[in-house]
Amino acid sequence: MNPPYAESASHLITLLASFMLVLQLLLAVQSMLVTNIRLFALQSLLLAGIAAVVGYAYGAWHVYVVALLTILGKVFFLPWLLERLVRQIKIEQEVRPFVNMPGSMLLCGALTVLAYVVARPITSLERLGSNTLAVAIALLLTGFFLMLNRRKAITQVLALLTMENGVMLAAIALTTYGMPLVVEIGIFFDVIIAVMVLGILVYRIRESFASMDVSKLNQLKW
Amino acid sequence: MNLSLPAILAQTALLLLLAPLLSGLIRNWKAKLQNRRGPRVWQPFFDLMKFWRKDMVISEHASWIFAATPYVMFVTALSAGLLAPMVTGQAPLGLFGGALALVGLLALGRFFLALGGLDPASPFGGMGSSREMTIAAMAEPAMMLAIFTLAIAAGSTSLSQIVLASQGPGWKFLDPSHALAFTAMFLVLLAETGRIPVDNPATHLELTMIHEAMLLEYSGRYLALIEWGASIKQLVLMTLLANVFFPIGLAPETTPAAFALGALYLAAKLLALAGAVVLVETCNAKLRLFRVPDLLSAAFVLAMLALVSTFLFK
Amino acid sequence: MILSPTPLLIVSLCGYALGALGGLLFLRREKLAAAFSFGVAALSALSGLLAGLLLLAGAPANPDGPLDLLPPLIPGITPLIPSLKLTVRLDALGAFFLVIVSLLGVAVSIYSLGYARGFFGRKNVGALGAFYNAMLLATALLFVADNLWVFLLAWELMALTAFCLVSFEHEKPETRRAGVLFFIMSHIDAGCVLLGFLLLFQASGDYSFGSLHNIGAAMSPGHRNAAFILFLLGFGIKAGVIPLHVWLPAAHPVAPSNVSALMSGVLIKAGIYGLTRVCFVFLGPPPLWWGVTILAAGTISAVLGVLYALMEHDLKRLLAYHSIENIGIILMGLGASLIFLCTGHPLLAALSLIAGMYHTINHASFKGLLFLGAGAVVHATRTRNMEEMGGLAKRMPETAFYFLIGAIAISALPPLNGFVSEWLTYQSLLQGFGVTESMWRLVFPLSGAMLALTGALAAACFVKAFGITFLAQPRSEHAAGAVEAAPAMRLGMAVLTAACVLLGLFPTAFVRQLDPLTQQLLGEQISRQLSLANGLALASLSAHPGTISTPGLVLTAVCLLPIPLVLWLMFARKARTRRGPAWACGQPGLTPQMEYTATGFSKPVRMIFKALFRPRRDVQREYDFSPYFATNIRFESHIEEVFVEQFYRPLRILILRVSRRVRALQAGSIHAYLLYIFVTLLLLLLFAL
Repeated sequence: MNPPYAESASHLITLLASFMLVLQLLLAVQSMLVTNIRLFALQSLLLAGIAAVVGYAYGAWHVYVVALLTILGKVFFLPWLLERLVRQIKIEQEVRPFVNMPGSMLLCGALTVLAYVVARPITSLERLGSNTLAVAIALLLTGFFLMLNRRKAITQVLALLTMENGVMLAAIALTTYGMPLVVEIGIFFDVIIAVMVLGILVYRIRESFASMDVSKLNQLKW
Repeated sequence: MNLSLPAILAQTALLLLLAPLLSGLIRNWKAKLQNRRGPRVWQPFFDLMKFWRKDMVISEHASWIFAATPYVMFVTALSAGLLAPMVTGQAPLGLFGGALALVGLLALGRFFLALGGLDPASPFGGMGSSREMTIAAMAEPAMMLAIFTLAIAAGSTSLSQIVLASQGPGWKFLDPSHALAFTAMFLVLLAETGRIPVDNPATHLELTMIHEAMLLEYSGRYLALIEWGASIKQLVLMTLLANVFFPIGLAPETTPAAFALGALYLAAKLLALAGAVVLVETCNAKLRLFRVPDLLSAAFVLAMLALVSTFLFK
Repeated sequence: MILSPTPLLIVSLCGYALGALGGLLFLRREKLAAAFSFGVAALSALSGLLAGLLLLAGAPANPDGPLDLLPPLIPGITPLIPSLKLTVRLDALGAFFLVIVSLLGVAVSIYSLGYARGFFGRKNVGALGAFYNAMLLATALLFVADNLWVFLLAWELMALTAFCLVSFEHEKPETRRAGVLFFIMSHIDAGCVLLGFLLLFQASGDYSFGSLHNIGAAMSPGHRNAAFILFLLGFGIKAGVIPLHVWLPAAHPVAPSNVSALMSGVLIKAGIYGLTRVCFVFLGPPPLWWGVTILAAGTISAVLGVLYALMEHDLKRLLAYHSIENIGIILMGLGASLIFLCTGHPLLAALSLIAGMYHTINHASFKGLLFLGAGAVVHATRTRNMEEMGGLAKRMPETAFYFLIGAIAISALPPLNGFVSEWLTYQSLLQGFGVTESMWRLVFPLSGAMLALTGALAAACFVKAFGITFLAQPRSEHAAGAVEAAPAMRLGMAVLTAACVLLGLFPTAFVRQLDPLTQQLLGEQISRQLSLANGLALASLSAHPGTISTPGLVLTAVCLLPIPLVLWLMFARKARTRRGPAWACGQPGLTPQMEYTATGFSKPVRMIFKALFRPRRDVQREYDFSPYFATNIRFESHIEEVFVEQFYRPLRILILRVSRRVRALQAGSIHAYLLYIFVTLLLLLLFAL
């Protein structure tokens, strides 16, 4: 069931997916919050691009809707929301993370290799863009590592969002014509609400503790 | 593989003449981008002529190593240039060495330059040597992995073979492994040629110098040779980057017409690459010395991803 | 015919024995003892060199089978104990290592003729000469051993004589400690090797090496793996593989420099020899994890060795750590070869083996050269501390030149020998990537990247070593008053320099000499495929090979040199050259204290790899009226040696604690001892039931 233009579409998808991975690595080492938000926006744009290419190759219109929603929500709305939050809180920069920069670089590299190893048995499927499953798992793993490594709540929210990018990429990679539109829209709104709630929470944390440093919140016990 | 004398002479002449021009171009464009007029593009030629004619003052503590370094630097840079494919797909002296020999020759030049920095007993020279050798050591793994990625795809470390393999059909240079390896090599290029964000070639503050600090005690014709050698090294690395990753327009045979066309293509690629370097230099600030390994370990991870992509993005 | 390998070998062995005896006989007469023992050693080494070279060039070696040394030594013993034989046999592998030990022997013995003069009147030169000859004898015997007895005897003798040599200057506590550590580690490794050989003997039933050939196929996998691990530990300790290396940086600096050169060039190669012989000849087809383990151990040793070397400011300790690094590189070649053997690529296995063996002889030559140079420098400046040297290039120009050649060779820079063997190693690692489909193949490019890192760090380290020692101004009075080394010392260094240059410029000719070796171990001869353009260029083993031509590069450099000279004639004839002070921000008078120090030179690396080194620094300043005008500043900087602190120290504490408990058994009373004997007797009787 190979659609026409499969060769060049596959190449384009592969290229965009690898750039998504590079952006994720940059996120892992970058410490300026606003730049991180913009990197995330760029990554979501690339994801929308992948969805658009899949839609074009299969001629499936609802995948275009997914791409459009991604652009509206993750490229424009959410970054605008987060940037507004950063401006309100007036904290511009990440504090020293737990693992320093070259260490986290190398660790993300190792996690990527692990993702590739895990994804190998599944990538032999005859699907357009199925070779991006490895990138999707890598995005998940590195996003999780990002959440562990950073102290500021906003970066953790961003990490969660990149993990969600990874899940969406996996969905595009593994399923025929992407997931049903209903599911996509559901997830989309879910994410938007979650981020808005988290935004409010972060603001509140800042107000109560005069800092966004999540490691200071250590009373989560009896 | 036969060695043709005209090709060798032509490439030597090209290296000697193009190198200062490229340096001058980068300086001029950087100035223009920073809203200044900048020196003329041919200024390095005039500088070299000036240095040749001047008297030399040598530190009283320096030994013969100080005198040998400029010659070693110059000759190794030129030899490395003759190992690289510039206008045609075949390097004139490709039989004598490939990617590894090129890297080794440049390392030999750097070794002597570092010794030449320590020799005059000046404190800044030692500092420059120490920093330069450390940064070179950090850049080596990334460079070697990028070379390995290319060599594995080509089945050989011979540069002509690597270029040939890159000239495959269509999307070859948008292959993720190529793109990632190019990014890694670009970062290594910035480190090896001493550009911002690794080193500021235009600084006058000794404590911020890396490459310039080793040259502080050189004057006259020694300085001319070293500056020329450094710009030839920069030209060689940029040519390598251009021709290996974008092998379009390489002349298939050595007729004068094909040669001229190939030279035009080379010029275009070099201009584009120089533009990229200028853009990166202008938009970034110089990194603290102990932040440079972070940059280079990023290059290493990119190169590793490039390598992994060769067999996993099939 | 006297010019066949076996008689030359016998002459060499007898010569060493004679030199040892002579050293002891002339104990009272120093000059005669030195001249005799080192002169005879040089000649014996020359004879051994010829023997090895003749064999590698194709002369038949053992027409009547292996040579039994026992009847000539102790006549009449053969009828009494027929199974006791001390057989020696010269085969390609042994001959190659014999060439290495002899080459080094010739150079170091010539050097010692001058070096020993430094000990006249202070120490017993005759003893030095005697033990020196004995160590060379033991090593030569080791490489030609054909029998478990000879091998183990030679191993022990080598360890004992090396211990005596290391402890030569035993009046210093540092030397005594180093000697004891060396002794203990040597015996642990002898024990491991013995156990390994016992496992092999159990399967074969005979002591001779001929019967042990491919014995691994007849052993159970459990025994084979156990034997491999024992041999890896035993030979690894001797070779100085991390984490078994702790004796190396202690023993090499304190030994006399000619001994250090020999130890570094030859003693640790004994470990490589043992590992090669065991893995390729005795243990049969290897499983994949053997090769991967050796490759990984080699990579780690290489990187960590050079990192610790960078931190040293004791010149000889720096060189000792570099030996660890180079052993790592040799092991990378060997490990890759074993992996190729396992995956069924004998040609690539031959390429890796050639790379490893080439690096072995290269390391012997450039490390020997560097140690000899260091010895000359240490002798002239009365200190091993680089921070007190400087300016020696003007005062000891020949030594400086030889040391520079050694430094360029060890930094793997073209066109010298280090570059060629590392090039071959890179080529074999490169082709390893296409050999298997499993994820393990990533280990090849990663090892290649780590090899690049060690090469670059080694270059940085030798810029530091050469620059701080020889360049700039002298940092102490002794350095300022240094004089050039004695002619014999310079001649010894010249021999090794010539070896480095020749091995670098004629790789194809040398690779041809390795054909018998690869034929014996792997059944392949690939030198024809490795040489292109009539031997001008060395090529790798692929369809479109990568090539390197060191003579070509030298020729290119020579042809390009006229360009600056012509320009000089055209433009710079009228330019004058003056000498003046260097720039010091306008300060008058540049003092040696303003120069860069060795510790300062390596600070960036120390900071980058802080997680490994855990540096601690302590600065204390004394001042009279204001802290900005200090009268005295005390600076202390430490790095932690990870293996000693985290592994050996706790191990030693544990062993001592257990020993203290066991000591309680030695109650001191007669009744207790009688009780022990009685209990043992009862147990034996019960056991026999």
